[in-house]
Amino acid sequence: MRGFLTLSILATALVSTYVLTTWSFPQRTFGFQIDPLPALLIVVALRCPISTIGILSIFGSLTQSALSTSSIGTTILPLYTLGFIVHMNSQHIAFNNVGTRFILGASAGAFVSITSLCILLLSNQQPLFGWFSFWQWIATAGMSGLLALVFFPIVNWLNRSVEEQPLVAPYDTSTRIIRGPHIHG
Amino acid sequence: MTNRPYVITTSIVLLFAVICFSLSPTAAKRAKRLFSSLYTPLFKTQRIAQSTGEYLSNQTISREALLDENAELKRQNSILELKLEQTVPLSKENRNLREQLKMRPRPEWNPRLARIIGRDPSNWWRSILIDLGANDGVKIDMPVVAKTGLIGRVQEAYPNHSQIALLGDPDCRVSVTIEATKETGILKSTGETVYDPTLVKLTHLPGVTLARPGDKLYSSGLGEIFPRGIYVGKLLAIHSRPGSLTTTATVKLSTNTSQLHEVWVLMP
Repeated sequence: MRGFLTLSILATALVSTYVLTTWSFPQRTFGFQIDPLPALLIVVALRCPISTIGILSIFGSLTQSALSTSSIGTTILPLYTLGFIVHMNSQHIAFNNVGTRFILGASAGAFVSITSLCILLLSNQQPLFGWFSFWQWIATAGMSGLLALVFFPIVNWLNRSVEEQPLVAPYDTSTRIIRGPHIHG
Repeated sequence: MTNRPYVITTSIVLLFAVICFSLSPTAAKRAKRLFSSLYTPLFKTQRIAQSTGEYLSNQTISREALLDENAELKRQNSILELKLEQTVPLSKENRNLREQLKMRPRPEWNPRLARIIGRDPSNWWRSILIDLGANDGVKIDMPVVAKTGLIGRVQEAYPNHSQIALLGDPDCRVSVTIEATKETGILKSTGETVYDPTLVKLTHLPGVTLARPGDKLYSSGLGEIFPRGIYVGKLLAIHSRPGSLTTTATVKLSTNTSQLHEVWVLMP
């Protein structure tokens, strides 16, 4: 049944990437684009096994670069590195706190953005950046933090909806059978 | 906790990353085309939703307003028809003279209206997505214009949508001519383009240039991607350095693409 959850997460990644690509308001008004993948990956890294993190990193990056000028798979390694680090430290993160969720999402947005830029520069591409990119970087990180707050309940809901939940026992589990000494005697 | 799933997943992810980096440009384009096909149902849904929305909003327009608009359009149409009539003999004369001089006839462009449906999901590029694709006859390198001037070229044509590299994108360099001086240069992106998408750099101008701020720029036709004579923008400032072989200038593009909703693809 884990497969259904993974599939629904991939569908969420595809739809959210599409929606934020076609929603031109942030670009027109504030001059930056919103990337939903870092925020989604943070939630997945805290809730799902490593295989789901790997699949989402590959699929999310490939589908996102299909809409972009960036070379294909540019964000695979940044996304997976981020997911791996968060997943390995998930025991130490109090992710039920709203503030923590926001900070995690914002850090993820900032990390993926900057590492993708480094990869583009190292692979001899000529991305467009200047002083205004600093504002874009901060704004993208902030929006990623807000998206993390949205994705946490969505992934929880998906988890409840598509995963098999343990059945509630139809009998009183507190009942115990006590064998008395007189039965066998 | 066993390490096996971690080792396997990490190896697979690394393998995919290496494959992606080592793909040839053709293979990378094919892969992009394959993954972009996943968006086809979403693009179709958006198209249906937009046309339904337009239909519904059209239903709410009053008959009087439609009649007024129709009358205004008819008036504009007759003026344009008159103007066109005046150019017919000129264009015939031009064609005859070209034939006599054995010059290649000028290509006639067939503009096709396209709707902007998205923008590059990353902040590092200046490209847009339009709702016309290879199925509609769009091909790579076709010029794209707006009412106010040139805006870019088709970078990639997918079956149902296309990606347009805008002026100011590192992947869209245009050779332009300054109308007043006939000097040519190349438009390139600059750090300022990130802040203001209408600001680009003009390079490769002669060391001693007669150009002045305010001079108009048109596509030069060199490079054979963009036809000659499409308005591009105005010179904003000239940065000449004494002793330098070339001059650079700042250009204000005619079209702010972040405010556009529709563009025209010039098809031959």
